[in-house]
Amino acid sequence: MTAEARLARVLIALGLGLTAVVAAALFVGSAGLTPGAVIEVLAGRATADSTERVVVLSLRLPRIAVAAIAGGALAVAGVGFQALTRNPLAEPSVIGVSSGAAFGVVVAQLTGGGAGLGDTFRLVAFGLAGALVAGITVYLVATTQAGFPVPTLLLSGVIVGVFFSAAITVITSLVDINRLGGIIHWLLGNIGPVAPASLLVFAVLAAIGVLLILLRARELNVLALGEESAVQLGVDAERLKRQIFFGAALLTAAVVAFTGPIGFVGLIVPHVLRMLLGSDNRFLVPAAFVGGAIFLLGADTLARNIVAPAELSVGVITSFCGAPFFVYLLRTRYRGGLP
Amino acid sequence: MLAAGPPRARLGACVVFFALLVAALPRPGLALTLTDMTGRVVTLAAPPQRIISLVPSATEIIFALGGEERLVGVTDFCDFPPAARQKRSVGGMIAPNLEVITTLTPDLVIGTREGNRYETFDQIRRLGIPVYLVHAGNVGEMLDAVGRLGHLTGRADAVAPLAARLSQRIHAVSTAVKSLRRPRVLYVLWPDPLIVPARASLITELIGLAGGDSITSAQSGDYPRFSIEAAVARAPEVIILADHGSGTGMQQRHQWDRLKSLPAVRTGRLHSVDGGILHRYGPRVVDGLDQLARAIHPEAFR
Repeated sequence: MTAEARLARVLIALGLGLTAVVAAALFVGSAGLTPGAVIEVLAGRATADSTERVVVLSLRLPRIAVAAIAGGALAVAGVGFQALTRNPLAEPSVIGVSSGAAFGVVVAQLTGGGAGLGDTFRLVAFGLAGALVAGITVYLVATTQAGFPVPTLLLSGVIVGVFFSAAITVITSLVDINRLGGIIHWLLGNIGPVAPASLLVFAVLAAIGVLLILLRARELNVLALGEESAVQLGVDAERLKRQIFFGAALLTAAVVAFTGPIGFVGLIVPHVLRMLLGSDNRFLVPAAFVGGAIFLLGADTLARNIVAPAELSVGVITSFCGAPFFVYLLRTRYRGGLP
Repeated sequence: MLAAGPPRARLGACVVFFALLVAALPRPGLALTLTDMTGRVVTLAAPPQRIISLVPSATEIIFALGGEERLVGVTDFCDFPPAARQKRSVGGMIAPNLEVITTLTPDLVIGTREGNRYETFDQIRRLGIPVYLVHAGNVGEMLDAVGRLGHLTGRADAVAPLAARLSQRIHAVSTAVKSLRRPRVLYVLWPDPLIVPARASLITELIGLAGGDSITSAQSGDYPRFSIEAAVARAPEVIILADHGSGTGMQQRHQWDRLKSLPAVRTGRLHSVDGGILHRYGPRVVDGLDQLARAIHPEAFR
């Protein structure tokens, strides 16, 4: 099968998958709307301010959008970090960047609360600062002459993650007990309906992050051959790595600011797609975005419904899927380290 | 203590304040512009008929006022009175289910900054549902909450009798212990980590009304963490262990019994009270006050 035919098949499968999870997320929920009622609303035939209309348009649709963008962004961030470190286990939560972003966002939440656009930008800015500090630290700690060997990178990520978790714990020890529940809830990773203006900000940030990585996908393919070969082939490796790092950190920070830290999406989705598509980043990046959207939206729809009318945190579901997957990868594919 | 003056004068001031407040509340019938207990302006198209309470204390008050007909939804934590369990639950306090809230078509949601999240208020407001926040850090504010919830549920007539009954009970307890020496009291809201009531909490005032002197009353905030060392250094004469159901209060007794330097341990003055009552500001707070006073001054209630 040619690469193009394989790509076409995967794209069709992704399209069908996305349609299926969006439909499930639209039609299933604790409000118990009939499918007919949901269709009426979508067709614009529901009366204004009716319960059905509010549930579908103000609750389910924005939540679907947040889940899809967050999932896509995390998956692309995963591809970015993996290409950057030439290490297939690199992922925002595994290498500590999520924890850094989470620390930044918690600080922002406690030094001012609100839900306006200004507050949204503040959360993202603090999250980005935390993500960059964590990412740069891991980079410096893990760099060896041979690049980023799996054990060094994982350990550095774990240590930086532990450090920022401890910093978050300091805050939770000092914060008023009445706010503690809210912070812990946020730290578990939850998706909720976001105001339209904030949603637009989220979409734009995600688009910037994805483009920063997608536009350098060809050069990332060259980087995969090794830094020296990349330089010989005319790639400015240092600049490329900085841009990819910034893009992936931006994606991570934006997602953490809007949903809290959600782990393992950037590990699972790129891996599955690499098995289907190969490791050409030009195809992998867009496919990972759609795949991430499917995975996180599916997980969120589960989280929203399996214990209805209560809800699980979506981060719990992704971790339940991700941790065994990580173990599987470590035990089978990367047993003796990387080739 | 929270304010200067003997408890009785303070209570009197509370009642006057509360009466003025009731008089100042708008009458139902028109669009209402209210200021909630945190100073936010809340506009209602009409007096609310379908109310969701995200606050167990508010749920208790609404039932005590007989306003439960207008209550269409509560949280999983709204367990008193038992009839509150019959109301539709919208989930927990931290993340109530927005779809369930929407399908109940409420015209008012009652929330609190102590246990709900501001993101939730924001999400509910965007659904076009007004959110009214309640708060009570002392007896005066509790009576204020009773008055406000009475008006919101169309039970303004029931406010004065309930408030009078509560004030009377409080007055009776505080009178009984007034002339007695005030022992140093450590109130243990949660043992591990140690969480105590501070300056801005209702419990601190109740301990004072019950004739005790809370050793944590000077701390800032309402329910901060507190170091055991600091608690030991202040040599409490009475330790009150809040029970969170199934006897959890006295189960932690052994932790304290090891601290033999404490006057409270030497004299065996460790008592358990019902945290489910005292950590809310519903009408049962007066029962909680009674428990506190009997723990601090058993001699006054023989």
